Amino acid sequence: MTQSAVSVRAVTQHFTVEGQSTVALDAIDLEIPPGQFVALVGPSGCGKSTLLSLVAGLRLPTGGTLLCNGEPIVGPVPQRIGMIFQEANLLPWLTALENVAFPLKLRGVPKRERLEAARAMLELTGLGNFADRLPHQLSGGMKQRVSIGRGLVQDPGVLLLDEPFAALDEQTRMVLGDEVLRIWARTGKTVMFVTHNLSEAVYLADRIIVFSARPGRIVDDVPVDLPRPRTFSMMSSERFGALKDRIWAHIRDADH
Amino acid sequence: MLRTPSQIRWAQAALAAVILAGWELLPRFGVIPKLFVPSLSEAIGALYEYRAEYLAHLPATLVEILVSYLLACGGGVTLGMLIASSPRARRMALPVLRSAYAVPMVVLYPVMMVWFGLGMGSKVAFATVFAFVPTLLTTVAGVASLSPHLLETARAFGASRWQRILYVQVPASLPTLIAALRLGGALVIVGVTVAEMLGAVEGLGFLITRHRTLLNSPGVYGGIILVLVITSGHEVLLRRLERRVEKFRES
Repeated sequence: MTQSAVSVRAVTQHFTVEGQSTVALDAIDLEIPPGQFVALVGPSGCGKSTLLSLVAGLRLPTGGTLLCNGEPIVGPVPQRIGMIFQEANLLPWLTALENVAFPLKLRGVPKRERLEAARAMLELTGLGNFADRLPHQLSGGMKQRVSIGRGLVQDPGVLLLDEPFAALDEQTRMVLGDEVLRIWARTGKTVMFVTHNLSEAVYLADRIIVFSARPGRIVDDVPVDLPRPRTFSMMSSERFGALKDRIWAHIRDADH
Repeated sequence: MLRTPSQIRWAQAALAAVILAGWELLPRFGVIPKLFVPSLSEAIGALYEYRAEYLAHLPATLVEILVSYLLACGGGVTLGMLIASSPRARRMALPVLRSAYAVPMVVLYPVMMVWFGLGMGSKVAFATVFAFVPTLLTTVAGVASLSPHLLETARAFGASRWQRILYVQVPASLPTLIAALRLGGALVIVGVTVAEMLGAVEGLGFLITRHRTLLNSPGVYGGIILVLVITSGHEVLLRRLERRVEKFRES
């Protein structure tokens, strides 16, 4: 058996807000093999984004263990795990190129080397001609492309995307979804993708993990058996609809 | 009315002209006694008449302002940045500092004269203490209003605490820092002038007090005009800095 890229073992997360403790995640177990594209879906507040921030090492779980390539995650390890947020969160005073290079700067990579790497990433995400623009001169979709480039620039094995297209319009969302698939197919990275959009989940993923409402538990683990490469016309196929229905049933039940 | 920038600029100029004209005419026609407020032309005349004296005392005041500025604004902004970067430090230090802010610092000046003498030391010490806490509090308030997302992103990409302060927090709060410098700088200028007026052997404040005790009102107002010139110079520098920073603001 090959080692999982990401292992989540009996992970529990409690939050205390104004003296009241809530359980965000309850005994989550999840093994993600290398190269798999996993979508995490569930009702609002089910803890799927929390799980992502745990994998990113941004916080430590109340209980349980998280592993990346068999090693415990105790803090951010950006060389192994790249993160892409819902808002692009670019530094407004840096150009697109400098934003992509930022994680390398934090690691002390010499300027020429890091800008060269960042340029390659902008080419990959289709923004080669916009390297010197400041974020406010870019559209929402372009900003998110910069953010994807920044997540990829250290060539991490695992890519975490936290509702990356939620703030974008439908067309941009479709285009960027294909873009992520193209990059994924080319680089073979392990992807964890949090989304509210069921079509997006089915269209992109190999496997869909469905969460219940708080306390967040895994209620279904759905393999997506649609062939690759995925095409727009698949979205109207019977199989696509059946997968969406199966997931929707869980979420509808959970939202009462 | 007052819609386009040029209309507003004209209105500003008109307002300034009204104030200056009032300053010139009200004392001249005896509406205000000349001993209280001499007319503008008299004040400028005094400035010219005593120019050698003012020029001799100006450097001391400028040096005191510069040194206090570096200590109060540099220190206040730096410490403010550090305190703001840690929620725990914020919770611990802010109540104490807010109480310190409420102390009327001017009561400390006699003590500082005892410690540092009549020369520049006591002026610098007083102006620094006077401006430090407000500068620090403004800095902290500005950083606290930043969106936490950028800092979180930097953390996800492995930024250490120092890197987060240096690469994210400081550049992101530059507009606030200018507000902190505007306040701190004004307080430094006030602090130095007041300290010189209360007890000194040189400086613009010293001259203002000396002219006042001689009932030479034009001489007093000549000194006030020079202090105004210094504060305006400070404002001009800040505006320039502001324009540079603004081009990075997200539209």
